[in-house]
Amino acid sequence: MRFLRSALAALTATGLAASALLAAPLRVAYSDWPGWTALAIADQKGWWKEAGVDVQLLWFEYGPSMEAFTAGQVDAVTVTNGDGLVTAAGGAKNVAIMLTDYSNGNDMIVARPGINSIADLKGRKVGIEIGFVTHLLLLNGLQKAGLTEADVELVPTPTNQTPQVLASRQVDAIGAWQPNSGEALKAVPGSKAIYTSANQPGLIYDAVVVTPQSLATRRADWVKFISVWDRVVAHLANPDTREDGIRIMAARAGVDPKEYAAFLDGTRFLTLAEGHKIMSSTEEGFGSLAGSSRIADAFSVKNGVYATPQDIPSSFDASLVAEVLKKE
Amino acid sequence: MSRWRPFRSELPPGRRRLLGIAAFLLPLLVWSLFSYVPWLWHPMIKVTEPAGVTWLRVDQLVPREDFAKLVEERRAADLAIPEGKRANPIFFQPPHAVARALYTAFTTKPVLRGDKWLHESLATSIKTIFWGFTISSLIGVPLGILCGAFASASRLTEPFVDFVRYMPAPAFGALMVAIFGIHLEPKIAIIVIGTFFQQVLVVANTVRRVDAGLLEAAATLGAKRRHLVLRVLLPASLPDLYNDLRILLGWAWTYLVVAEVVGVSSGITFFINQQAKYRNFDNVYAAIILIGIIGFTTDQVLGWLGRRLFAWKNPRPSRFRAFFGRLFAGREVLLFPDRPHRPAGGL
Amino acid sequence: MSSVANSSSASSLPDYRAQSPAVAARFARLRERPVVLELEHLGRRFVGDSGPVEALRDISFRVHRREFVCVIGPSGCGKSTLIRMLAGLDEPSSGRVLLDGRPVSGPGPDRGMVFQGYTLFPWLTVLKNVLFGLQMQGRSGASAEAEARQWLELVGLAKFADHYPNQLSGGMRQRVAIARALAPNPRVLLMDEPFGALDAQTRAQMQTHLLEIWRNVDVTILFITHDLDEAILLADRILVLKAHPGEIHEVIEVPVPRPRSFAQQQSPEFQATRRRLDELIHPAAAAPAEPLPIIRLTQAGDDVE
Repeated sequence: MRFLRSALAALTATGLAASALLAAPLRVAYSDWPGWTALAIADQKGWWKEAGVDVQLLWFEYGPSMEAFTAGQVDAVTVTNGDGLVTAAGGAKNVAIMLTDYSNGNDMIVARPGINSIADLKGRKVGIEIGFVTHLLLLNGLQKAGLTEADVELVPTPTNQTPQVLASRQVDAIGAWQPNSGEALKAVPGSKAIYTSANQPGLIYDAVVVTPQSLATRRADWVKFISVWDRVVAHLANPDTREDGIRIMAARAGVDPKEYAAFLDGTRFLTLAEGHKIMSSTEEGFGSLAGSSRIADAFSVKNGVYATPQDIPSSFDASLVAEVLKKE
Repeated sequence: MSRWRPFRSELPPGRRRLLGIAAFLLPLLVWSLFSYVPWLWHPMIKVTEPAGVTWLRVDQLVPREDFAKLVEERRAADLAIPEGKRANPIFFQPPHAVARALYTAFTTKPVLRGDKWLHESLATSIKTIFWGFTISSLIGVPLGILCGAFASASRLTEPFVDFVRYMPAPAFGALMVAIFGIHLEPKIAIIVIGTFFQQVLVVANTVRRVDAGLLEAAATLGAKRRHLVLRVLLPASLPDLYNDLRILLGWAWTYLVVAEVVGVSSGITFFINQQAKYRNFDNVYAAIILIGIIGFTTDQVLGWLGRRLFAWKNPRPSRFRAFFGRLFAGREVLLFPDRPHRPAGGL
Repeated sequence: MSSVANSSSASSLPDYRAQSPAVAARFARLRERPVVLELEHLGRRFVGDSGPVEALRDISFRVHRREFVCVIGPSGCGKSTLIRMLAGLDEPSSGRVLLDGRPVSGPGPDRGMVFQGYTLFPWLTVLKNVLFGLQMQGRSGASAEAEARQWLELVGLAKFADHYPNQLSGGMRQRVAIARALAPNPRVLLMDEPFGALDAQTRAQMQTHLLEIWRNVDVTILFITHDLDEAILLADRILVLKAHPGEIHEVIEVPVPRPRSFAQQQSPEFQATRRRLDELIHPAAAAPAEPLPIIRLTQAGDDVE
């Protein structure tokens, strides 16, 4: 049984020298989002091995991946910048060491036929999962249209049920991310995405966050981990290799590559240089990670996701990316 | 026999087998009718020609009324009329699609290095169930027997067990990950939590149902407490315990669905969740049917085994035993003009 | 049982207490034998729904070695409670039970019991059922098995040693139960309406069997029944109980000589004892049953009597 094996492993681990401990693979929990399934490309191509670091990618559902990180069972996890703060507020401090992408249309407000803009939502019902990124997206859209949360009626709806809820005509619009948002569009003929994350780039950044402990003890390994990212982005950007990349990502998600390719359009991959710019910028607003996180933080506190504002500057560390860029 | 007493009478073996097969063929027939007969149900229109309607795509599914309304509007406006044929909703897949999905799932080589074949995923799931159920039973069955045998053990255990029983096993997911890590162990733990508490109560109740007369008879034969438990309560309740465990094993499969999204995603039920998320319902049904087949087969095998293990309880002995039974019954009439095989129901 | 028929022939029957010299001598010898089982002021009260119920009151009685005693009484007289207390399956509220002069508490192999419901262990073969009591005494191996086979021989079931109880008829099951109860060599065999569930023919066979066994085995039998003929056929003495509360009505020494057979049922002693039991169990003083207010539902002239 595995119990015995892990008990033995623990014994051996404590018995051996620190050098042996350092040789353990970096355990990275990831889940189904195009920016993160792309990590499987690096794994399958053996690029990390080339870079001299042993990485163990662990495939999770999004929620359980954060649970595993909180429980200290993995060294790193892929999350949105907002959820990184939620995880930190839950007791698992974490540091974003790189950005993979920002959502560029995969998160949507989908409205039934006849509603053509956010402004039309005034006085209408919107099915949304309170406190989640789509909620933030809705508020952002309302604000731009000169409306507030009070102008619409929010119907708390789990994101994976939004297609059915919209189809049942109990609400006038829903907020969801892919693949649910796409399913909602398919489920209700004539429905339309009236506002998406493409309308507000930087609203949702996606990142790899690590435990402060692992960052401190194995910084060099994490730098190596990051160093392959530009190859991944290039693999997907190059028309010759793009299909191969998507094949790997789709296989990880367990769906048809053609189907999965559609989700890539809603994801804006960030090269290390682009990521570094966003991480090191001190501007307010969505153009910088700090600005985006501050907005997400305020939103989470206001909606009772957690009680006390989080320390934004310590939530990410651009120096690892900087180190990779400098080497190049 | 069955003509004048239609209720609860035994069927002849040929008829039994026939009806057993029909029990599977009938639902398959209904399923096929709704899948292949176009005028049965088929509440959607599958678009074949969008005819310039901006929001229509080829192969898109549209409810029939909506499509009819659209056609009317277009006709009134003297525009090109979209075309389509009747279809079922995406979640209703025809048998051949499910059969194909089942076949492909088994024959498709995993795309990624280090990924598992479907049968390997299944093996992982079965392993999870096996260990979860075994660990639960190793503790739950003896504890249940103690509770059924001794009132003090029952009072000390059952109120708390009853209390925990209502806590949903999935809620322990995060805690189990914190304690047992992210691989198979927390999944096994979820199955243990889901099974164990029910098991204690069910086993205790079964043991309590043992005929008190057997215990009294044993006591008058000089059996002490230990013997009463080990030599009477235990063997007397064993066939029912065996059946209890068969039913509980079925429940364990239910907990597998939540167990497999705890920690690292793996196994057959994770496959179902993931495919449902992308609305690949042919794969979903294929996997569900697969679990059904595994469960049904396991149960049939266990049932067959049970009838042989507990032959003394079986009112219909095996052909081998029936032969000797008749042989001796005949001799019995010669030796002792007793009425053989008098039904015990008269007591 | 029509009391009219009894009273018409009453004058021709002897007193049920009259004993032939042979029978009287036998009873004298019986009384000489040591007392095996002694009941001292035995009483039992239950807490019922409407206050305490007195099931048995002040039962005192002695059973001598190898005596055959039957207990009869109307339903509700506490026959079963009595035998369960003797077996140790129920605790008396007052008084005590002595076996060979020593008070008993709890069940034990010195008092074998045969239940109306057979209570054979269905998961054990016939042989292993009989072996059970021996094993409880710590015996095992070939000698114990040989002994168990002897007991099966005695009840005529040696050929069925490897059968399971549910393959046997009711009468055969009860014979196994008797063999099982006798195997640990009990001082007393307690039998609680053991033939109550059997059909008339099987029951008659079992009665003959039991007498045969009793003749050949050193055992004292206390036998509960509600069948008056059965009691007379089997017993040396009959303990007649009355109900509410259960008390001793009379102890009858059966004047029918041994060995017993069904042919004796027509003998004057049998008839006299039978009439006395009828008087005790179904008192003539009781008001005759009111005729049922029946409306005629058949056509006039279509009579069956």
